[in-house]
Amino acid sequence: MSSSNPQALLIPLLLAAIGALLFWAFWSGLTGHEGERLAALALERVPESGASNPVTSVLLNFRAYDTLLELAVLLAALLGIWSLGPAAAPYQRASLLLDSLVGWVVPMLIIAGGYLLWIGGQAPGGAFQAGALLGAAGVTLALSGRPNAGLPGEAWLRVLAALGTLVFALIGLTLMGVGLGFLTYPPALAKALILTIETGATLSIGATLAAAFLGGRPRAKRNAEP
Amino acid sequence: MLDPLALAVALPLLGALLVTMLPGWSRTLGMLTALATTGVALWLTVTVWSGEGLRSDLGGWGVPLGIGLRADGLAAALVAMANLVALAISINATGYFGAAESSRKFWPLWLLLWTALNGLFLAADLFNLYVMLELLGLSAAALGALTGTREAAEANLRYLLVGLLGSMTYLLGVALLYTAYGVLDLELVAEALTPGPVAWSALALMIGGLLLKSALFPLHFWLPPAHANAPAPVSAALSALVVKAAVYLVLRLWLDLFDGIATLPAAMLLGLLGAGAVLWGSWRALRAERLKLLAAYSTVAQIGYLFLFLPLLTAAPDGDTRERLLTALVLLALTHGFAKAGFFLAAGLVQKSTGHDRIRELGGAAQSLPAATFTIGLAGVALIGLPPSGTFFAKWVLVGQAIALGQWWWALVAMAGTLLAAAYVFRVLARAFNREPTPKCFLTDPRTEIPALLLAALSALAVGLAAQPIAVLLGAGV
Repeated sequence: MSSSNPQALLIPLLLAAIGALLFWAFWSGLTGHEGERLAALALERVPESGASNPVTSVLLNFRAYDTLLELAVLLAALLGIWSLGPAAAPYQRASLLLDSLVGWVVPMLIIAGGYLLWIGGQAPGGAFQAGALLGAAGVTLALSGRPNAGLPGEAWLRVLAALGTLVFALIGLTLMGVGLGFLTYPPALAKALILTIETGATLSIGATLAAAFLGGRPRAKRNAEP
Repeated sequence: MLDPLALAVALPLLGALLVTMLPGWSRTLGMLTALATTGVALWLTVTVWSGEGLRSDLGGWGVPLGIGLRADGLAAALVAMANLVALAISINATGYFGAAESSRKFWPLWLLLWTALNGLFLAADLFNLYVMLELLGLSAAALGALTGTREAAEANLRYLLVGLLGSMTYLLGVALLYTAYGVLDLELVAEALTPGPVAWSALALMIGGLLLKSALFPLHFWLPPAHANAPAPVSAALSALVVKAAVYLVLRLWLDLFDGIATLPAAMLLGLLGAGAVLWGSWRALRAERLKLLAAYSTVAQIGYLFLFLPLLTAAPDGDTRERLLTALVLLALTHGFAKAGFFLAAGLVQKSTGHDRIRELGGAAQSLPAATFTIGLAGVALIGLPPSGTFFAKWVLVGQAIALGQWWWALVAMAGTLLAAAYVFRVLARAFNREPTPKCFLTDPRTEIPALLLAALSALAVGLAAQPIAVLLGAGV
């Protein structure tokens, strides 16, 4: 598009004006209001949550309901991808050099994922980060020509993808059933419950991300083998 | 100790997970979930009806730290409608998809959509609403593309992207509010909110994003292709429920959150767009070639009516008038939910048995599919607003209050929309009863027809409205 086109000038100007307006609102929001803020309150109550990392306390305890539904969003995305058709043909098998590198990288990614999952209770880490590493391991396998990115066949993959949300929802419902309320952890069990939920979520997130990378329903094993 | 609020969200979610894991059992498990969820929803509605508003704090932390769910009358009314419609759609889907492969794809996404609907109606937290909007938009777009045709994939990709833009804009507004007030619970933010740049920008961003999702004219461009190309049960859900959820949220924010921030000129603007939607949507429905496209454009028009209420609600003094307007608005939304779902399911049957849904070639459909034709007729009664449908009462209040509040122009829009709705409904019914095509020319003998037409128009449109002057006349000269 030539620069003489009035649109080429008008659109950036308009966007800049909207941006300036929003920044003004943001600035007056930052400086304007006094009063108790949620972040301070959350930090104060981290010790009661069963996790000493504040991010984990918020994600898995204070606002666990949001996280439960975010896992459902991931599942919906995967189901949506599957409903559009089968996965593309697998990549060509990598050469010896890359292949042996993948043989090193993938176990490291899985170990690092396990570490992040465990450390998430006390330090930055947790199910989403660990799941992202597992997903990356799957992507690496897919890129080096492994069919189905190292994932199991469709029947087990479905179980794996739904597992994290299922564990989460069942724990929530059980706690309601015993009279505590949906997703209300008893303080003594909070740490164990959070770890159980995070383990399930890690597996599901990893499997979902890797399966999403394949871009369609997994092919039957026999057809996919080269 | 069972909590109907949490169950209304958790049960369909649990069902979605089970049918994902056990696709071979999807129909049985799906129907069981549908029945259980509807049961919980009705229990919830009856509880609210008997006078208790429901509120529960998930995780037991209470606001502002935790997330709350709550049901007031407005939420409960929409939950009851949405779940009854969803149950009917589920039963229809067991027949529509049968045991085919598409049934396995349908059930998990459908139950996730149901989860999002209930979650959205019951949410009391601004960020949680965003998560619900994402789940709703994603599962709706995936369901819409289930037919697998190129048009469906294209229309639903556009739907997905528009939906994402809408929810991102909404999120930006939430971020602004959180920056300024540090809380996310709807009631707490509403208490703290004061007029100023933050409130105005948040209003514009959040309502603007949701207008895109509720397909208010002229942002409706994505709706007709997406709704018309989806499988019939999905079209029914998209038109009757998903769009309605976005409108519900606009209303919720307008009345609860931005009460006192939203000014009358802003409401007038939305009313004006609503008027545009009523006229343009009805006109396009009248010109539509296909039954499902007609129904989709009719949705655009019906959404428009809901927005006609906003300037009246904003102008009305608190109390009786406002409550009557709100009742009428909800009545209209509920009636449209039931009517449009029924219309789409019947249209799906017509499409399945005749192989097409071209209105021009519907001749004789009434003879071969009497129940489906009758359904379309009944739904048409509700869409037009003939008595005793809910739309009739709603429009009655709309017209009456528009005149009482000095905003008479909305009454004209409502009447014009009603006439157009009658035209597009009767156009379908006339074809279904195998009538000859209507002649090209409207008038055949102007000199004899125009006087007759004027008399009929006078009787139908003018005399009723002139009741007041006539009463004055009768009182005069006594």
